[in-house]
Amino acid sequence: MDLLEPTSQAFRLLLAGDPELLRIIWLSLWVSVAAIALVAAPSIGLGFLLAKKRFPGQRAAVVLVQALLSFPTVVIGLVIYLLLSRRGPLGSYELLFTPWAIMIGYMVIAFPILVVFTISSVQGADPRVYETARCLGAGRATASLTTLWEVRFGILAAVVNGFGRAISEVGCAIMVGGNIAGLTRNIPTAIALETTKGDFAQGIALGFVLMVVALGVNVLLALLQGEGGLK
Amino acid sequence: MTASLVRLHGLRKAFGARVLLDILELRIERGGAYVLIGGNGCGKTTLMRIVAGLEPVQAGGMEFGGEPFRLSAYPERLRRDIVYVHQQPYLFHTSLRHNLEYGLKCRGLPPAERERRVEDAIAWAGLQAQAATPPAKLSGGEKQRAALARARALQPELLLLDEPTSNLDRAGRGQTLALLGQLREERRTVIVACHDQEVIGLDGFTRLRLHDGWITQQSG
Repeated sequence: MDLLEPTSQAFRLLLAGDPELLRIIWLSLWVSVAAIALVAAPSIGLGFLLAKKRFPGQRAAVVLVQALLSFPTVVIGLVIYLLLSRRGPLGSYELLFTPWAIMIGYMVIAFPILVVFTISSVQGADPRVYETARCLGAGRATASLTTLWEVRFGILAAVVNGFGRAISEVGCAIMVGGNIAGLTRNIPTAIALETTKGDFAQGIALGFVLMVVALGVNVLLALLQGEGGLK
Repeated sequence: MTASLVRLHGLRKAFGARVLLDILELRIERGGAYVLIGGNGCGKTTLMRIVAGLEPVQAGGMEFGGEPFRLSAYPERLRRDIVYVHQQPYLFHTSLRHNLEYGLKCRGLPPAERERRVEDAIAWAGLQAQAATPPAKLSGGEKQRAALARARALQPELLLLDEPTSNLDRAGRGQTLALLGQLREERRTVIVACHDQEVIGLDGFTRLRLHDGWITQQSG
């Protein structure tokens, strides 16, 4: 197969600012960013509680969240589809086959990543962090926030991982978004579709964008971490 | 006779069947400097942590400034009056100034007062040259001095210092000893847990010996 021609065509599409391509890229970005923005705070909070507090069922809750990590995304998509479908309990909101449905799917997919990474970061934190904050006069809430701040690089890595998982997800996005041109078609679903149609140029262009986004986010993370991220 | 700042009574701390601390009564006088000595594992750190409200106990009460309470119901407000410094102090991964300012912010002090105390703490600990250095890059001695300055800046009623000279080189120990002497001169109420003979021999420090869970007091 000749890859040179579709690749050069892909870059021509990108450089020309093809409106369809830009719409797809914009949808992927805003839906992924919004999903992570909405799910980050509750997930990090839950991760902190599961790491620090002892309560009946805590272990089972951690195991459940860990199990969600390995849940197939098409199954997550199926569950959300059933909930949002016209005859489902949330059908009256008419969210199915809209970007909002994709956002909900992304939130569900990113949730266990954020929780598990937060648990790992907080449990790996030096126990003196919380004690030092308390000894210096901080209340429980302030000492907890101080602990989260001290493990901020781990938390940032969790957010970046969650974003990376969301923006590159296919199965759930196709099921609940429907891959509708101009409405719910995003980068990974478009790549899947264009490739099956034999239109490699758009697939390559979008794949390139996806890799640039992934690389960009990780470079940003490294810059934010600075030397503090390397221990 | 000065009034006792702290009176511990009926304190019992056990780990399983092993009773680590069984203290009938311990009085700490306001403005007094104490050195808590005893063998490894005798409970020095545990006792300090109990007084700081970091360690649960099986039984015991405490009076602080004449106000009695059960140690199992440690009052939150005492965390503003009693400051404990770990054997290996933790400095937050921010800046030295932020570390020095942290507890002052928790106390709601106005910015000008915080700034004044931070500057004073930096000068007291002799860390002017390190003021812009990230805490992670400070030496062991500098970290210890920063932690002492951070605790002192809060002007607590009681300072609890756990082995402040351990893991330090000769220079670091010398500087930390000088700061301990200054705390004594300033009439801060301070308890220092240690093995270090130079600390034990510091002028004006009353020795508290912990052995088999009991405390005995020797004049300084």
